[in-house]
Amino acid sequence: MSSWLDYTINGLIVGNVYALVAVGLALIFGVSRLINFAQGSIYLVGAYIGWVAVVQLHTPLPLTIIVVAVAAAIVGLIIERFGLRPLQNSVRIAPLLATIGISFVLDQLVMLTFSPNPRALPSQLPDVRFQVGGGTIGPLDLLIAGVGLTSALLLFVFLRYSKLGWAVRATAQDRDAAMQMGVDVNRVNQAVFGIAAALGGVSGLLVGMYYNQIDTAMSLQATLKGVVAEVVGGAGNVPGAVIGSLLLGLVESYGVAVFGTSYRNLFAFLLLVIVLVLRPNGLFASARQAPPEPLTGTFIAPSRPVRIPRWALLVAAGVFATLPFFPVSFYVLQTLINAWLLGMLALSLTLVAGTVGQVSLGHAALLAIGAYTSALLSLNFSVPVGLAIIAGGLMSAALGTALISPSFRLRGHYVSIATLAIGEIVSLVILNWESVTRGPIGISGIPPLSLFGYDLVSPTSIYWFSFVVMVVLALLQGRLLGSHLGRSFRAIRDDDTAARAYGLSLNRYKSLAFIFGGFAAGVSGGIAAHLYSYINHETFNTQQSILALTVVILGGLGNVVGAIVGAVALVGLPEVFRIAAEYRILIYGIVLLLLVRFRPQGLLGTI
Amino acid sequence: MSNIDRRTLVKGSLAAMMAGAAGSRGAFAQSSEPILLGVSGPLTGPNAQYGTQWKQGFDLALDEIQAAGGINGRKLTYNFEDSQSDPRQSVAIAQKFVSDPRIVLELGDFSSPASMAASPIYQRAGLVQFGFTNSHPDFTKGGDFMWSTSVSQADEQPLLASYAVKRLGLKKLAVLHLNTDWGRTSRDYFVNAAKEYGAEIAVTEGYIAEERDFRSTLVRVRDANPDGLILISYYSDGALIARQARQVGLKQVICAASSVYSPKFLELGGEAVEEVHVGTRYFPEDPRPEVQKFIAGFKKKYHGLEPDAFNAYAYDAMNMAAAVVKIGGTDRKAVRDAFTKVKDVPSVIFGAATFDVATRRVKGAMNAELVVRKGQFALWDGKPT
Repeated sequence: MSSWLDYTINGLIVGNVYALVAVGLALIFGVSRLINFAQGSIYLVGAYIGWVAVVQLHTPLPLTIIVVAVAAAIVGLIIERFGLRPLQNSVRIAPLLATIGISFVLDQLVMLTFSPNPRALPSQLPDVRFQVGGGTIGPLDLLIAGVGLTSALLLFVFLRYSKLGWAVRATAQDRDAAMQMGVDVNRVNQAVFGIAAALGGVSGLLVGMYYNQIDTAMSLQATLKGVVAEVVGGAGNVPGAVIGSLLLGLVESYGVAVFGTSYRNLFAFLLLVIVLVLRPNGLFASARQAPPEPLTGTFIAPSRPVRIPRWALLVAAGVFATLPFFPVSFYVLQTLINAWLLGMLALSLTLVAGTVGQVSLGHAALLAIGAYTSALLSLNFSVPVGLAIIAGGLMSAALGTALISPSFRLRGHYVSIATLAIGEIVSLVILNWESVTRGPIGISGIPPLSLFGYDLVSPTSIYWFSFVVMVVLALLQGRLLGSHLGRSFRAIRDDDTAARAYGLSLNRYKSLAFIFGGFAAGVSGGIAAHLYSYINHETFNTQQSILALTVVILGGLGNVVGAIVGAVALVGLPEVFRIAAEYRILIYGIVLLLLVRFRPQGLLGTI
Repeated sequence: MSNIDRRTLVKGSLAAMMAGAAGSRGAFAQSSEPILLGVSGPLTGPNAQYGTQWKQGFDLALDEIQAAGGINGRKLTYNFEDSQSDPRQSVAIAQKFVSDPRIVLELGDFSSPASMAASPIYQRAGLVQFGFTNSHPDFTKGGDFMWSTSVSQADEQPLLASYAVKRLGLKKLAVLHLNTDWGRTSRDYFVNAAKEYGAEIAVTEGYIAEERDFRSTLVRVRDANPDGLILISYYSDGALIARQARQVGLKQVICAASSVYSPKFLELGGEAVEEVHVGTRYFPEDPRPEVQKFIAGFKKKYHGLEPDAFNAYAYDAMNMAAAVVKIGGTDRKAVRDAFTKVKDVPSVIFGAATFDVATRRVKGAMNAELVVRKGQFALWDGKPT
């Protein structure tokens, strides 16, 4: 029984670590209603600045902390001034996407400067351990707890009792009203970003010291855990973020205790989904808090879509359909195959995110469900590949919709966080459900694509096959959008209260959208499985979900042609920049930022 | 469609035309042209560190090969394409390589999903895919153009089990493993061998690569009351586990697979990795001339940097590729056939390396029993710790 004490202590210790990131996220969310995906990158920057201070300059600990806090705050101010302030009056999704772009740029800059090899960041505290339960805790554990709790407390006092704090809260509640009352909203935003970034940087330093290890891949994981902790506690609520972090740490620790290590993150994300479903504003949101988002068309830019004349579409389709007859290399064809597969995924996402307004950050899960279904059916039950792919699409439609349905009552950012969690859960179930999915070993020897008994193995035939499937799905979706059903979808997106008042059943229409969308994504995953012949739980990861969202926003939300144009552009850009090797993700991030800045409604605009 | 669309396409096609017509193969290059290998691996993304280590190993091997007169008077060089170890990119790279007639052999990719997604393309086009970090048991089953010098876990794990059970006398073991195809396969080979040698497996715990916190896992380990911990880990997670094991008060003997063999393991683990036992294929104090040449060359080229296991894999792979191309020339099929002909290629990891034609992997590797003492890897003197 004594072990339970140890699990509890361990849970609290790691919860502390999460709290350092979550507090910064909560502060920014509180003021600008923005989930700052760059917070993990600031944490990374802080860790590396700390490494320079400790290892190169040999600064003592208090000075190290000050150096890191100041440097990180400066980075935060730069991000606010040049990355986010220009986006103030554009759609909500634009700053979100900008933070993703900023995180690419920051991570890549750190990697180019310091090389991707992990480094040791020695702790500057004496290495004594105190016996607690069956284990021990050290001074650094206490320092982390101290920094987490003190910063939360200070922030709380600051927000409640200082004049700038009042301004921050006023801005959070109603930006326009605050501005009319003479609050300098920009200065408030700056202050908040500076404080949050300083906290983020210091947390990177402390966590790096705690593990005696920093590497350039640590930022995404930190962001993920921080976001989970923050949302569990109640987005924008600073003390809530601390409690949410501790709770997350405890749930993970007890999860390991009862079920074993490989289930650890599963419980973290299940906790998130359960909290969101039961208390959509997080555990510690007050009942009086305003709904998470205004009700009308939050994510959608008012724009006039670019109408592409029918003849131009036909010409383009004709060019792509006949492309293999021209002297193009298999490399170009393969790149376009990737674009068509991503295009199917983007069609799926543009329907649910663009047309119905349910922004999904876990769309790769639908790929994975389709891919595993199709691969297992064709391998274990000798189902013909063509049928297996269709079955994969149907399974994604059914299972995906069932999984996502508890989140239908959520709004705004909470939908994207719930879908992010569901995406992670699907991946972890695939990893652990060994009797069916073969767990970490993955599925190999998946039969190649075939149609009516003929194997499609040449790039040319795979190209035509995937192109035709995508065009058919696009035509169906275009038809759908022009129909009565499509108009109902857009009505829900633009104003769900009004739509409900007109008698539309929100859940039913959202389900329909996910069923159609799930099918397209599942087919894409199925084709990919047969194309690759080997898949495992890492084949379809969070990065693909983020890529799909980027494509959709780039093309224009809800825009069918835009989804395809976006897919071609985002598969093509990194290939065009391939010559730049290590710099290409940096360039990609900058291009993304420029697009968000100058064309937030997407290339072709929202339909 | 939009401009971007068309522009991408035009650029892509131009590149393709420069690379030559699709599908043609064979050696058209003049004999003064360097012989070109393709490398598909991560230079950016979460596995970027391994791509960097590959490059270091490759470049050192190439310096030596060039200095020795190259391949029959021609220089050997490579074209490293960044795949981020992402299957979508590795398949595109595969098409690029197979349709570029200058490429005579391909090395990589790093992870199994990225490598094995590209395998069908290499197999159909008849270009050797030489995966030197691909320990997935099915990798070489992808076809007769898939070859690997990846340390076969079927060989390595029984050696580690023997070190732990027979030599160190550990009877009750806790196994912590990376929950990937590599970690999982290794764990199974290890567990089977350890049981055969008479040990009991008290608990096995699989963790994901991003994991940083192992305290709760270690409480589980403690409650199982083993007398030894086995780490099937890479150096970064291995160091984390060792540190946290000591912090939560576990004092058991720790044994780790050769994949932790890196100066980084010592740097990241600090005091906590003292007395950790490592079974390894590669040990710098090994007096064999090929090992000493590798280490001296590496330190000279990279300003005193200590090489690690991944550097050594890459170095060996490039030397093996050179040996194969020397026999096979620039014809892709002849290159494939040359893998069956190369014999006793000097290597750091395997001593004299020869392929087992049936499995298309190298068999029988060197084994050194190391222990960390005073912050250094040292040969184990046989004294229990």
